[in-house]
Amino acid sequence: MAVNILVVDDSAVMRSMIQKTLLLSGLQVGEIHQAGNGREGLDALGTQWIDLVIVDINMPVMNGEEMIEQMHSRDELKGIPTVVVSTEGSQTRIERLQRLGVRFIHKPFTPEAIRDTIKEMLGNEVFHDRSR
Amino acid sequence: MTAAADGRLAEVTIDTLEKLAFLFASPVEAAPEVEESLLTTVRVEFTGAFAGGLEVSLSGPVLAELAANMLGAMDGEPLAPEDQLDALKELANVVCGNMLPALGGDEAEFSIRAPHPAPANRPAWAAPAACCCLALDNGICRVRMRVDAGAAPRSADGAAPGSAATR
Repeated sequence: MAVNILVVDDSAVMRSMIQKTLLLSGLQVGEIHQAGNGREGLDALGTQWIDLVIVDINMPVMNGEEMIEQMHSRDELKGIPTVVVSTEGSQTRIERLQRLGVRFIHKPFTPEAIRDTIKEMLGNEVFHDRSR
Repeated sequence: MTAAADGRLAEVTIDTLEKLAFLFASPVEAAPEVEESLLTTVRVEFTGAFAGGLEVSLSGPVLAELAANMLGAMDGEPLAPEDQLDALKELANVVCGNMLPALGGDEAEFSIRAPHPAPANRPAWAAPAACCCLALDNGICRVRMRVDAGAAPRSADGAAPGSAATR
């Protein structure tokens, strides 16, 4: 099964880094969509079939925490596996997000952290055999 | 603020450069005299438990290498200026996000605004809360952090706030 992914970050360089990491991770990648803030991310979720969301916290227009809260207020979106990739250092905020069921990866991240977190969330089945 | 804050800022920046862009840096005791016009600088502002800003300045060759490594550019061609600037903005964002818990503690919440370019003739910060200068193979990286008046961060060595020295 190929995984359609939405990457939400206001830095085009960071979106590109995450995309390259995903493509090299062994994950069976379908389409990768990108958004520059939480509002654009919600718009993408309304028009595309997304299996996994990777989102930053600090962004203009709508930050990642607001986007995740809005996802959880909508039945059709609240079950989508979500990973926060952020510099966030506040344990208070991280725990608040984790209570919503999201996983947290700290920036700067290692490619292994991205791969292992997705494996834990989606299982080995979505990875090519050689990366299992 | 304190030598501990300077040291922590250097540690965070070195770690970020290495993990984000495979660049290896080491602290220099005395910052070399460099014309501001030869550096590219971005600033990022933050609010929350306390407010302030952080600026990162890179010399030209370091900026080009940072962007090329972050984007995995393999052909040796320099990336577009906007891509290089975006890479520097992300470096500033990550350094700032990782430095704030060192000053404010793990419970403090902050909102980090979008980084922006800072022109060479910008007003200098009179008394940075922390600063460091790092040497890389191709140039330097200089980082300064400002904490606004009235803010009371916990210092990186646990000392009482308000002991900022003018630099």
